[in-house]
Amino acid sequence: MRAAAAAAATVTAGLIGALVVVPLESLGRIAAEDGLTGIARALSAPASRVAILHTVAIATAVTVLAVTAGTALALAVERRPARSRLLPRLLVAGPLVIPEFVLGFAWSQAYGPAGLSDRVTGLTMPGLFGPAGIIAVLTVYGLPLAYLAVTAGLAARADPALERAARAAGAGGWATLRTVTLPLLRVPLLGAAALVFVTAAGSFAVPQVLGTPAGFGTMSTLIYSDLALSAGPAAFTELVVLALAMVALVLLALGPLDLWLARLPRAARPETPPAVAAPRTAGDRIVMVIVWGYAILAAGIPMLTLILTALTRGPGLAPVPANWTLANFRSGFSDGAGAALARSAGLALAAAVAAPALGGLVAGLARGRWRGPLATVVTLAYAVPGSALAVGIIIGYGRWLDGSALIILVAYVAKFWVFGHRPVQAALDRLPPGQTRAARLSGARPGTAVRTVVLPPLTVAAATAAGLVFVLAFHELTMSTILYGPGTETFAVVIMNQQDLGGVGATAALALVLTVPVVTVAAVAAWLARRTAVFPGIQNGSWSS
Amino acid sequence: MVLLTAAPVLRVPDAVACAGLSVGYGRPALAGLDLAVTPGETLALLGSSGSGKTTLLNAIAGFAAPLAGRIWLAGELVSGPGRLVPPERRRIGMVFQDHALWPHLSVLDTVAYPLRRSGASRAAARRGAQVILEQMSLGPLAGRRPGQLSGGEQQRVGLARALAATPGLYLFDEPTAHLDANLRAQILDEVARRRAADGAAAIYATHNATEALAIADRVAVLHSGRLAQAGPPAEVYSAPDDLTVARLTGPVSVLGAPVRPAGPGQYAIGIGGARATVPGTAAKPADPAGPAILVRPDWARLGEGDLPGSVTEVRFRGPHTDYHLTTPAGPLLIREPGPPRAGPGPACWSLERLRLLPPA
Repeated sequence: MRAAAAAAATVTAGLIGALVVVPLESLGRIAAEDGLTGIARALSAPASRVAILHTVAIATAVTVLAVTAGTALALAVERRPARSRLLPRLLVAGPLVIPEFVLGFAWSQAYGPAGLSDRVTGLTMPGLFGPAGIIAVLTVYGLPLAYLAVTAGLAARADPALERAARAAGAGGWATLRTVTLPLLRVPLLGAAALVFVTAAGSFAVPQVLGTPAGFGTMSTLIYSDLALSAGPAAFTELVVLALAMVALVLLALGPLDLWLARLPRAARPETPPAVAAPRTAGDRIVMVIVWGYAILAAGIPMLTLILTALTRGPGLAPVPANWTLANFRSGFSDGAGAALARSAGLALAAAVAAPALGGLVAGLARGRWRGPLATVVTLAYAVPGSALAVGIIIGYGRWLDGSALIILVAYVAKFWVFGHRPVQAALDRLPPGQTRAARLSGARPGTAVRTVVLPPLTVAAATAAGLVFVLAFHELTMSTILYGPGTETFAVVIMNQQDLGGVGATAALALVLTVPVVTVAAVAAWLARRTAVFPGIQNGSWSS
Repeated sequence: MVLLTAAPVLRVPDAVACAGLSVGYGRPALAGLDLAVTPGETLALLGSSGSGKTTLLNAIAGFAAPLAGRIWLAGELVSGPGRLVPPERRRIGMVFQDHALWPHLSVLDTVAYPLRRSGASRAAARRGAQVILEQMSLGPLAGRRPGQLSGGEQQRVGLARALAATPGLYLFDEPTAHLDANLRAQILDEVARRRAADGAAAIYATHNATEALAIADRVAVLHSGRLAQAGPPAEVYSAPDDLTVARLTGPVSVLGAPVRPAGPGQYAIGIGGARATVPGTAAKPADPAGPAILVRPDWARLGEGDLPGSVTEVRFRGPHTDYHLTTPAGPLLIREPGPPRAGPGPACWSLERLRLLPPA
């Protein structure tokens, strides 16, 4: 057994080395070629300095906004009776299933000059193209992460009795929030803040759609444009240093936090009796109005605009039935988009199979003292910004895999491994320790015991992980734009290039094709979850770090 | 409706009074409850899980708004139409079932918390908390977090926190449910001592009949959100109004046999050809034909009298022994002090007391 475990740990460590360490090491090697002066020169170039400043400012603003609003909303909603929580959860979390690029593009069509709101009410969002717009759209993605983390934290840590004890001890509503509820949520909130910061700092699609037209660059868009221009070796070193700086920025924000979180005491999961049904109060109605208003502004109007844009014959025409057409879909698919769609689906499927399998490897086989460090590396691999990871992969594997879609798959698996790992690990941790022993005592051989007792409870977790990885890989743009070559474009890349060329209607049509299947599947899953009264993604806390 | 006008004028107000209290939408968790606890009194709230005990405590504490009815605390209306005094202004000390200790606070800060909230400075609150902890012999634990305490210690810290608020009313929500018998006795002693010292009223919710009968001045039996019966422990035990109350308040056997009144407080009963005249009481309404005969295990004696039966099982339980009999009137449990003094087999028994109920 010991030899098998050691072999498994070695294999796992090898895979992590190949997928995560080699790309980062490649970045480091190129950056170090010119020594410290080269690094200093690259970082002090005006474009780099501005990009770093922009990235830090945007990620910080998004983190503060999203965590504050997400926490407030979750605290207002999640103490309501269980039946009435599902709808607000779906409304808040909904945008997570829309690709970043699509939502950014939809916002530009909805709230920009000559957009839908301009056309109907004469109003446009000031600063949509620029930092304000980028912060607003990224907050729409950050907010549900904070909301879900608080939800999981409330379920796992904040037994309502703890708040009642505070009220009974003489604390008012605010004092209870300040002295009991928020301190209890400290760990999930910090985890959510780290996740939001990492997501915002690494985002490429939103700054690309909303920042680049206004000349506002971040580290990820600068890396992309530098690569596209590919202006000689000096510029390449500069870009690699920038990618490394991005990694450093994210790890600096994440590393100490991870260490500190590991030391905090854990609270036992409370056994909460079902709450007594209560009448709906005025406060509940206000909360629901806010949630609906937010969902309509953040996703409803932009997505409606996207649909109308896709259906309307020309950019300047009114989106009325007389002007409706399917020509945008035809023109969008005229030039290889169909093949790209098939390629994206295939790549996402392969990643969706590989990630839970590799996740299970880390979770199940690498036990003992290897387990913690391996899990941490897999988690940190997700935190490495996609732009940096992709550049590292080009340097590390470009020699062998250039021009092949396989290089994109390597990037997907490295980046999304953690989503295969976390659910499987959580399911394994939930298995009562006596189960395999009971199976052995009941006459099962070791293999049979694993097959009949351990694997069945893991299938749901593995399926959840596969679904999540499929969606993330299918929507992935940041790494795909850097890694694709002639004939290996993914669907998301085709859409971005279409938008670059200015084909607004075709872009909207292809964006709809990218978005609708996932949204439909998510809606069906939510409906099924409502019928069976479980909501696995939220209740098992797999979103909280 | 007397209670509605009973917001008392001339006498000392009840520590807590509920009138027509209903809580919960749809299938109500409490329906039309009337209940009062006088200052210094301990009321045990006895009921199975889902009977509405916790709901009642939550309504009194202000965590649940009543659908109908009113609650007064020390004569002040705190819950009623258009009025809901928040929990923190009700001067209540509550001890929770799962302790509800805050994982991020030390024992000292937990006990100091109510003092802080009533306006004391941090230092003064900690000094006050230290005094309470010393009184309860918890002083050495002051620096620990809840995760570093045993179940019994956690519960005593929860009790210390409730005491720190010097409330006029204590609410205990099954505080000993998760403790073993030894710790349970310790906690109950502690509760009794503290209550004797400060004279506050207490409501003690439990599903354990022994506990309820032992600690309370009065027992209120809750069933399906309604008050089934209330009275002194001895009365509720010996004269339950119905089968549900009888089963909730302790072990009981239900016999079916012809029975008729034979003088005041006496009933003639016929079992398997033998006859006996037994002192007893009857629940109102007056018995129709074929009432249920309730027998507590300490109301019958084995090896005396001439009622027929057969011992099927003998269980030694330490201070006493349980004998399970089959009789022509149905199964019967007899409990006698001391070790077993008879084995399985035919046996005669006598009845010293009975309680008649309408058939279920």
